[in-house]
Amino acid sequence: MSPRLALEAVEVHAGARRLLGPVSLELVAGECIGLVGESGSGKSLTVQALLGLLPGGLHATGRLREGTTAFAPGTPAHVALRGRVIGWVPQDPLASLHPLRRVGAQLVETLRVVRRLDRATARAEAIALLERVHLPAPAAALDRFPHEFSGGQRQRIAIALALATAPRVLVADEPTSALDARIARDILDLLDGLRRETGLAVLLVSHDLPLVGAYAQRVHVLRGGEVVEHGPTTHVFAAPSHPYTGELLAADAAAPMAVPTGTREPVLQARGLRLRYPRAARDALDGIDLDLRRGEGLALVGESGSGKSSLGRVLLRLARGARGEVRFHPRGGAPVDLLALDGSSLRTLRPQLGVVFQDPYASLDPRLRIVDVVGEPLRLRGMAAAARREMVATLLGDVGLHPDALDRHPHQFSGGQRQRIAIARALAGDPELLVCDEAVSALDAHHRGAILALLARLKAERDLALLFITHDLAAAAAVAERIVVLEDGRVVEQGPVADVLAAPSHPHTRALVAARPPHPAGG
Amino acid sequence: MPGPTHLPPLARAALAVLGALALACTVGPWLLRVDPHAPHWEALSVPPGSAGHWAGTDAIGRDVLARTLAGGRLSLGIGLLSSLVALGIGLAYGAIAGLAGGRVERVMLRVLDVFSAIPFLLVVILLLTLFERSLGLLLAAIGGYVWIDLARVMRSEAARLRVSGFVLAAEAMGATFGQRLRWHVLPNLMPLAVVYLGLILPQAILVESFLGFLGLSVDEPSASWGTLLAEGVQELDSAPWTLLVPATFLVATLAAFQMLGDGLRDWLDVRARPQAGA
Repeated sequence: MSPRLALEAVEVHAGARRLLGPVSLELVAGECIGLVGESGSGKSLTVQALLGLLPGGLHATGRLREGTTAFAPGTPAHVALRGRVIGWVPQDPLASLHPLRRVGAQLVETLRVVRRLDRATARAEAIALLERVHLPAPAAALDRFPHEFSGGQRQRIAIALALATAPRVLVADEPTSALDARIARDILDLLDGLRRETGLAVLLVSHDLPLVGAYAQRVHVLRGGEVVEHGPTTHVFAAPSHPYTGELLAADAAAPMAVPTGTREPVLQARGLRLRYPRAARDALDGIDLDLRRGEGLALVGESGSGKSSLGRVLLRLARGARGEVRFHPRGGAPVDLLALDGSSLRTLRPQLGVVFQDPYASLDPRLRIVDVVGEPLRLRGMAAAARREMVATLLGDVGLHPDALDRHPHQFSGGQRQRIAIARALAGDPELLVCDEAVSALDAHHRGAILALLARLKAERDLALLFITHDLAAAAAVAERIVVLEDGRVVEQGPVADVLAAPSHPHTRALVAARPPHPAGG
Repeated sequence: MPGPTHLPPLARAALAVLGALALACTVGPWLLRVDPHAPHWEALSVPPGSAGHWAGTDAIGRDVLARTLAGGRLSLGIGLLSSLVALGIGLAYGAIAGLAGGRVERVMLRVLDVFSAIPFLLVVILLLTLFERSLGLLLAAIGGYVWIDLARVMRSEAARLRVSGFVLAAEAMGATFGQRLRWHVLPNLMPLAVVYLGLILPQAILVESFLGFLGLSVDEPSASWGTLLAEGVQELDSAPWTLLVPATFLVATLAAFQMLGDGLRDWLDVRARPQAGA
């Protein structure tokens, strides 16, 4: 069968420098093509070139073919394919939906402009589209705003919007990286169903190799702007011919089960924690008890909205309005209740409470050099510049970065490197406790494995109490001995990692365990 | 990295025009060697192009070009100073409100709403009429007029920074409110502040001209562009150039600032640039 849309030796250049290519892809009716690679591998450039949406200063060469007609990328004929032939499902559905307009208005507008339907027909068609993406109560949904939906529902709406123009090719650019495992699975099942039923050609772009493996028939692996391997998914997974593919697969499989420690002295004890946000219908945290011991890794697992990030912030007193007790045992001091402490005593204890946030792009001040970013806790303690520089260099070494990073700025580093910098900063205060809030979920498989290994090593070397907040059970298993599962602000299950993963007792935990994507190569 | 690394051509042209205007207004009066305040009784209301008076003279024989350039010095100077006053107040107010969050932020925003509800120009006119007019009062009046919108913009940006990772991270390290403000929030607001300086400067110049037109700016014999426009209107029938010359300068200045502001916004808006590495 001839492909619906093909890229033939497409390259992207910035001036004389080649950033991508040559990439050749064939999108065939009823087939899902996976495009895999870590951040910076050129996945986004490929999508932008395919859509004719390259940023200014970049230009594409090569050929595109739709059916039997061929044209150069970026020409008006190519641009005319958007919508009519190519539908696009973006990574962040919030960014593609207009925040101030009702869902119905956005769908109806698209249908009226592109398919020239009258208002009544367009409205009926909009409801039909929302039904196709399995959005509950589609007729009522038309009158609601995007922010009234959950992340998964918004992604369904974004898919409906992409389908509104009746495209024959659907480009899904990291459609699930912002969603937790179970909802991600639902969204991909939906795309898979659409592909089977309507013969849509799907290009699934992702950094998540097992995910792509579960849904794509063919896969292309990108690295440094070049396709290093391509072929049927089962072949690529079973016998990767390029060492990098093997590396990506290995990085994902690296989830060593940690051994539980014995009972040691507690570092943090939470009792009866409650938190309710203003105007919320129910408590975000509903009576949580938690114990964290020295040298112990505790994984806090739950779906988005389960309260796990709120809990992390309450434990560090970075959220207001919590009730209950958070008993912290500082080094060489009497235990204190963090929630009852006055501002200045709290600040003196802060260095002992390290934290690493989810988004490594937002958590480093873009204007500072790395020596000042990592050295900030030291500067707060009044350490002189020269001593600070020396200490930061040592810390960078500890997290596996070269000392020549000192005088560079955050934007010169990749996501994984930035997360290392954030970890170095958290270590600068010589903490007793390290809280990692979804610290690896923004990273691709390759970097995720490396950061998890780093955290496990630091925990052992420094005898840290580690609170690891995540929705990813495999990541939890890599660094934690114990696991606590949260649902709707309550602890529904806890115990040693191996026990909970092997025999989850609560239905919610079972659903989370089942949501881990299967490994097609018998994993 | 791809993306606009140079100012757009239109903005560069605007910058050149503004530079030339500023230069003309600062060194022009000195180069012309004509006293802007001295009447030439032998040359009353002569049209432009006459010997010694390129832009003509007014009803009492003062050189229009010399007066326009000297007026520009005052208009631009007062505009710049009052913009800096407004920038200082707006930046500090907005940054504190945005970083504080919660009840403090809500109260400070309400105060801004109250200020916006006051017809400020009327208050300024009242103040300048009632009290002894001084440069300080004039600067405070114009600055007080333009700082409100600026404070709002700075507040929303500071609030975005407050919840962004690195300011939260600083709090988690034990940084005080003042340290977070000085180390993270203010430096990260600076690019936006510079852009907004380009946007409020013409506003301040316009307000000054408006007050000058009403005779509430600088006193005789000094004259800002607004004062000159008021004089020019009186002589519109007999000597239209006394209106047209300062008006042309004012319009050119405001138009150039507009183009520069647009260009600066595109150029400095980091979020409009593509992310590195992808």
